[in-house]
Amino acid sequence: MREDRRAQRPTRRRRTTLAALAGCCAVALVATGCGGGADDGEVTLRFSWWGADERHAETQEVIERFEAENPGITVEGEYADWSSYWDRLATNVAANDAPDIIQHEERYLREYGDRGALADLHEFEDVLDLSTIDELALGGGEVDGELYGVATGVNAYGIIADPEIFDQAGVEMPDDTTWTWDDYAEIAAEISENTPDGVYGAQNYGFNEAGFNIFARQRGEALYTADGGLGFSQETLADWWELSLELQESGAEPDAARSVETESGGVDRSLIATNAGAMYHSWSNHLGILTNTSGRELQMLRYPRADEEGPTGLYLKPAMYYSVSARSEHPREAAMFVDFLLNDPQAAEIILADRGLPANLELREQIRGDLEQGDAVGAEFIDEISAEIDDALPVPPIGAGEVVDLIKRVNEDVLFGRLSPDEAAERFMADVESATG
Amino acid sequence: MVSLDSAPTTAASDGEPPRPTPAPRRRRPARGDERAAYLFLAPWFLGLVVITIGPMVASLYFSFTDYSLLSEPEWVGLDNYRRMLEDERLRSSLGVTFFYVFVSVPLQLALALLLAIVLDRGVRGLALYRSVYYLPSLLGGSVAIAILWRQVFGAEGLVNSLLGLFGITGEGWVSHPDYALGTLVVLNVWTFGAPMVIFLAGLRQIPTMYYEAAAVDGAGPIRRFFRITVPLLSPIVFFNLVLQIINAFQSFTQAFVVSGGTGGPSDSTLFYTLYLYDQGFGSFDMGYASAMAWLLLVIIAGFTAIHFIASKYWVFYDD
Repeated sequence: MREDRRAQRPTRRRRTTLAALAGCCAVALVATGCGGGADDGEVTLRFSWWGADERHAETQEVIERFEAENPGITVEGEYADWSSYWDRLATNVAANDAPDIIQHEERYLREYGDRGALADLHEFEDVLDLSTIDELALGGGEVDGELYGVATGVNAYGIIADPEIFDQAGVEMPDDTTWTWDDYAEIAAEISENTPDGVYGAQNYGFNEAGFNIFARQRGEALYTADGGLGFSQETLADWWELSLELQESGAEPDAARSVETESGGVDRSLIATNAGAMYHSWSNHLGILTNTSGRELQMLRYPRADEEGPTGLYLKPAMYYSVSARSEHPREAAMFVDFLLNDPQAAEIILADRGLPANLELREQIRGDLEQGDAVGAEFIDEISAEIDDALPVPPIGAGEVVDLIKRVNEDVLFGRLSPDEAAERFMADVESATG
Repeated sequence: MVSLDSAPTTAASDGEPPRPTPAPRRRRPARGDERAAYLFLAPWFLGLVVITIGPMVASLYFSFTDYSLLSEPEWVGLDNYRRMLEDERLRSSLGVTFFYVFVSVPLQLALALLLAIVLDRGVRGLALYRSVYYLPSLLGGSVAIAILWRQVFGAEGLVNSLLGLFGITGEGWVSHPDYALGTLVVLNVWTFGAPMVIFLAGLRQIPTMYYEAAAVDGAGPIRRFFRITVPLLSPIVFFNLVLQIINAFQSFTQAFVVSGGTGGPSDSTLFYTLYLYDQGFGSFDMGYASAMAWLLLVIIAGFTAIHFIASKYWVFYDD
């Protein structure tokens, strides 16, 4: 053969054929380049998550520990920031190329779970130990008996406060077990008044439905019912926005344009992060980053109530979830990795409270001493309120991911006076119903 | 490339007696040549099919389906198109987009023409000015500039600092529903460099003897501009207009970054493309998003057709 080929100059026809072959090979190479994956007992898993640089580094470290303990399993990390993460995940799932292990969030969990994209983790309980997980958090990942995700950790929503600004304004820190919404409005206005221009009592709370959920629960209502419908009255929502407007008008909060701008800057550019505001409604896992950026010893307060007697409305929310793709070729190995993330002390020591205060109660105790100042305050807050909470929130309905943007839009209309609180409540309810219906 | 490849064939025919009619051969190249040509075209053709035509056909199909990305598409006929008729946000996003296109493009072209004329007068260091003015066009569509825009027009931004010097307290321009779209218009006008360079080339094409003759006949500069420059430059104006309008209809990055992806505040910067993206990837409604994409294609094609028809009445070709 070889002799033959050398002896004979390729004819024109053959050259063309060769070129065509080369072309085809190139295309084939490109097409299969992303595939691969040997089948000789080696298992390759893909794990995708969103987050900041710190999380990427620490997760990579956890992966290395896991690989060291489980020879034969390789885990490839894929990460992105929050908004591009969801675009990419949706596209990947649509292309039948979903990662094996998916970091999930409650507002998207049902979207994927109900459409058959996520595996039922109950099936892998022989390798995935759930007995150690906080029950309040565990319930949140379950829909109709199928466990679509296990909580990575828990978060609580509340008011993060900067005692130094209270001090400057000569206002005493409130007793958060007894304070009311009237106290809140009064305190915020007083702080704005007693501090230099550009420092405010509070940042507008109307952009986040998590806070409204507490407000509604204080009245015995809720954002969503267990079967995915709306659980509140229009009046309650209108009251919530009414109060928000009052805060803006009294000067307790910045004007509308500034509120919108501050909000779009995210947690890092919030008023409390830049020492320009005394109170900020947010999640407990933001205490770490806020303490670092503000350089202050921040505290966390319970939500005010209508009166001292009523329910607190507080709840614990699974910070995020670990899910396994229903189309994973190695779901058992994927579940083993989830077990490692949740239950291995090495993993807990690296991740600490970055994915919420660990849902594994034993490990939560173990890492307590290693927490930084901000996270320690958050852990303490969660401990305190845990005793007062007795119900887990239902998994939000399909389409709840959209509500994040819906409430922002309606709140902007309220702040700029384009919708009255009543009209806004009506609009929001109609929008949510069409998004989740 | 084809002629290179054909060398062996010609050599082979050399041995034979020359033929009397070489003309038809030239018109229709040998089959081997054709095949080679297609082979070399293949990568481009493949790209066209895989990256452009394929997805277009797919999106046309999806536009008739209910497709959530996560589950299989389901045929719903014209439902998506019917839904567009009743979609208020779609209407408002069209309003925003039309405002953006029909305010920013004329302003941008006017500025481009003005500066092209000034530069054409023979400014010292023309090459430098040309590059400096062209720079924003290269950067304008980028994420970095959009982020910069946020800063410049923010409540504590550069614009307000300048206004502050005159004792004026400015708004948070990008965060106020009355002004946010305006800042995007300014951003687009700012990228006047590309049409300016094309205008400049067009101005260079106009023979100076026309101006000289007109000057001799006593025509002033304004008259010369409207009687000589405008008609002779009209094909270039037409070209710039069509190109910039198509571009403006498709703008996405600026609004996405400046509004943080929401089209806010209060939907004031919700471009059509942004709403389309939001429907596809935010609401997982790829069927509806595909239908919207086709509506946009029809709108742009419609406007371009109108331009071409109208051009018969005002574009003057000097030949």
